[in-house]
Amino acid sequence: MNSKKSIGALALLTAGAFALTACQQGSASGGGGDSEDGAVTLQFQSLSDQPATQEAIQAAVDSWNSDNPDVQVEIIQAGWDGAYDKLITQFTGGTAPDIIHFEAASIVAFAQDGYLADLSEGLSEETIADIPEGIWDSVTVNDEIIAYPSTMQSYVAFANADLLEEAGVEVPTGDSMSWDQLAEIAEATTTDDVYGLGWGLGSPAATVMTLAPGFGGDFFSGSGDDVQIEVGDAELEVPERIHEMAYEDESLDPVSLTQSGSDVLASFYGGTVAMTVQGSFQAANMANDAPEGFNWVALPPLEGSEGALQAANPQTYSVNIDSEHVEEATAFLDFFASGQTLAAIAQADALIPASESAREVVATETGGEDGWEQILATADGMVGAPFLQANGYAEWKETVLNPALQQYLGDQISSEELATQLTDGWG
Amino acid sequence: MNTNMKTPLPVTVLQYLALGGFLLFLGFPVLWIVSASFKSSAELNSLSANLIPNEWVFTNFTTALERQNLLSSAGNSFLVAVSTMVIAVIVTLPMSYALARLRGKLRAAGTVWILATQVFPQILIIIPLFLVLRTLMLNDTLLGLILVYVTFTLPFTLWMMQGYVAAVPRELEDAGSMDGASRFKVLVHIVFPLLRPGLMATAMFTFVSAWNEFFLALVLLQSPELFTLPITLRAFLGAEGQTQLGPLAAGAVLATIPSLIVFSFLQKKLTGGMLAGAVKG
Amino acid sequence: MSAPAPALAPPSGGSPRRKAGLGPRQKAERREAIALVIPALLPIIVFSMIPLLAGVYLGFTNATLARNAEIEFIGFDNFVQLAQDKQFWDSFGIGLVWAGSVAALTGMSAIALALLLNSKLRFKSLTRIIVLIPWAMPPVVTGILWRMIYDVNSGPLNAALGWFGIDKVNWLGDFSTALPAVIVVGIWSGLPQTTVLLLAGMQSIPGELHEAAALDGANGARRFWHVTLPGLAPVLIAITSIDFIWNFNDFGIVYVLTEGGPGGRTMIPPLFTYLEAFRNREIGYASAMGDVLVLAILLILSIYLVNQFRQNKEGRS
Repeated sequence: MNSKKSIGALALLTAGAFALTACQQGSASGGGGDSEDGAVTLQFQSLSDQPATQEAIQAAVDSWNSDNPDVQVEIIQAGWDGAYDKLITQFTGGTAPDIIHFEAASIVAFAQDGYLADLSEGLSEETIADIPEGIWDSVTVNDEIIAYPSTMQSYVAFANADLLEEAGVEVPTGDSMSWDQLAEIAEATTTDDVYGLGWGLGSPAATVMTLAPGFGGDFFSGSGDDVQIEVGDAELEVPERIHEMAYEDESLDPVSLTQSGSDVLASFYGGTVAMTVQGSFQAANMANDAPEGFNWVALPPLEGSEGALQAANPQTYSVNIDSEHVEEATAFLDFFASGQTLAAIAQADALIPASESAREVVATETGGEDGWEQILATADGMVGAPFLQANGYAEWKETVLNPALQQYLGDQISSEELATQLTDGWG
Repeated sequence: MNTNMKTPLPVTVLQYLALGGFLLFLGFPVLWIVSASFKSSAELNSLSANLIPNEWVFTNFTTALERQNLLSSAGNSFLVAVSTMVIAVIVTLPMSYALARLRGKLRAAGTVWILATQVFPQILIIIPLFLVLRTLMLNDTLLGLILVYVTFTLPFTLWMMQGYVAAVPRELEDAGSMDGASRFKVLVHIVFPLLRPGLMATAMFTFVSAWNEFFLALVLLQSPELFTLPITLRAFLGAEGQTQLGPLAAGAVLATIPSLIVFSFLQKKLTGGMLAGAVKG
Repeated sequence: MSAPAPALAPPSGGSPRRKAGLGPRQKAERREAIALVIPALLPIIVFSMIPLLAGVYLGFTNATLARNAEIEFIGFDNFVQLAQDKQFWDSFGIGLVWAGSVAALTGMSAIALALLLNSKLRFKSLTRIIVLIPWAMPPVVTGILWRMIYDVNSGPLNAALGWFGIDKVNWLGDFSTALPAVIVVGIWSGLPQTTVLLLAGMQSIPGELHEAAALDGANGARRFWHVTLPGLAPVLIAITSIDFIWNFNDFGIVYVLTEGGPGGRTMIPPLFTYLEAFRNREIGYASAMGDVLVLAILLILSIYLVNQFRQNKEGRS
């Protein structure tokens, strides 16, 4: 009985392992295929959830489909939540679609694992020239362009103009605003009932990493599996300045440091914080949700010692390397990358277009209103950041970076301890 | 069951107080989400903490119903949940009896398997499971999803049902056997009726689990027309934590109603078991 | 287990023929067992056993999720590496506190609630439905809902405390209150189900036992102790142990509420498994974590469950 059982178990084990290996090798059958009349069908998995965005994408696809009867594109609507888990199962299981919408920080992992096609040959020169190099860096892996960057967000400071006026502070204008200026205004506007600044840093990692380039904070050098970490003064500058405002100047609401960005917006609308740093897309929500007569303005891009730089993490469109029609899929992306289409998508999602032509369209169409002028200005400082290329960043971010920053911003540890935790936690 | 005793008044008062506490704890958050579903986006993003919305809006419900093909995915979910419930109950009943009553290695192996499936992180099973389904051409089908749900709820239903079987005194069965009834008859006429409350509870479990399950549906289904309700609901959670709170709350409130209807239906049967027991006694 | 207090019940189990050796009866029993088990066994083997064993096996390999990755058997290397993974083991303690408190508190509250629902109070059918709503609520909103309840500035909890002049508490953001606050949510979402299962267990206890006890003059508390609780024991043990496992394994609710914060106070082991398997794509190493989790949890539970088995045996032979 016993031996019978163990043989049975072994057989099952082999079957399972076999199924796994067998299918890992034969992962080429994903995506769309050829229909009977010889036309190619490409599956295009899109995550966009705003109705206006979906319309803009549908319009672009419809126009492609009528121009190219031989290469039909079919939109598969999916959602952002759980998108990574869905994609990794699709890739490993060999059923990933041909064209894949996602974001740079997450798609790079799939490129490193060899699942994405190189687009550098298939995209036209105009398309490539239309996007600044810094943004291309964020989607370049091993010298291959593994995605077309479409739209992105930046971090922007918003201010309650009335509270600034009450405090006798002039609303800053110009091309940029230094961190010192931010701290000064925050101090000037802080009263018994009002904090100068509210900053939703419940999960601080993304914000800190995005703003670090402004002070030359790279954190990582090298790429792939061979990545070194360095946490020096440049890297610590952003968290230290936030910490200083919260605990020395007492001009930044420490409770907001444990909240989400949207939570802090409620305080901003309620007039208990005079300024707030938010993802640029929140401008659209402010236009909708702010109480009547609430007088908000977007402030100029935040400038550190190295300039008003921020790490670019654009949304992306990639092509599955196992697609039977990589060439056609890339050609579609090149068509999709038109200024009009991306401008429409960007406005519907309240995001910044990566391409210069689309940015011009947005600037004209919005007239720079509702914060668009300042938001579009941040695009000039977008750079590729080394953390995008570091294998193991995602786990380090969740298990080391976020907890350590939470402890530091909660005033539980010193900045030296922060640096030690970050360094020791890597690798 | 306190049919034979008068409960003293202070005890009754205490009982009502305790019950009130439980109702507040369990019910208030539900009221809060119902209230949120009627609030405007501006009010949800303000500092006010009112249970009664300042201004009642119904746009959350219309947005939820219009934009995210909520109804067709609710249809898929209902098909999946009911099938899962029926199949799971049918296969659970005999095997749980075997697990509880029969001696030997089967029981030990069953117990270890049940616990191992529950402890081993689901995330690690997903990819082998996906490959098995693909081999059987069941990926991206509702049938595949139903079979997976049945299998994934089985450990729990078996685990619970064998507990209920164990709670049935053996004497009742033995008495039946002595009267000359076959094992099968003993099962059908004596054991299974006593298991009805437990069976109803496990049926509720399988229905709700399948109705609300998100992760397996997310990775196993690819075609939007097959999406189940939780996938559609999650579409209100956008990129970068841009949650559309109002429509999400409205969708959640709507999504809760079918489960509650099934609950109240099964609940009656659950209580029915008590009556049957009392009549027999 | 069906061994109610001796004074109250007929002598339990113990028919000598069960001890009798091999015979036609036993063979018939085996045949019956097979017939009873087959319908459930088929899907179990295909959709559960095979993936599970494949998953367990991967822990002994260097498998990754890369395209065309080659899988090599590497013995215990992953486990040696895992033994030195300090973060993983640190989170273990948090996981045990989290799962243990949720399971224990849920179990106790559920007994109380099930007794209340089972007694002669008014509005029973209404309260029974209200109590079930959290169970029916889609899990995706549970986390978001409780974030609203716990919100520092606009949450009803702090508003209510404000009526009594109590200062605002940053429930999920404060280092000392985060874990307890999350545990309360765990209880909220697990209580209805546990209560229903216990209620069903109470319904299954034959009325004769209660009546016999009542005739013997046992009061409510005594009858609970001598009839209800022993009768409920198998169900109670089953549900609390499964509650423990589920909560230990489910980082979803914790993650939505706190994202592991503040400062890692609510980071539990399955989060590491997820990050390692899907984000780092090191499925081999992650599976080793899974294997260790299975062993550790089974070990912890066996202390609890061996008891049940022993009682079971006593009840039978």
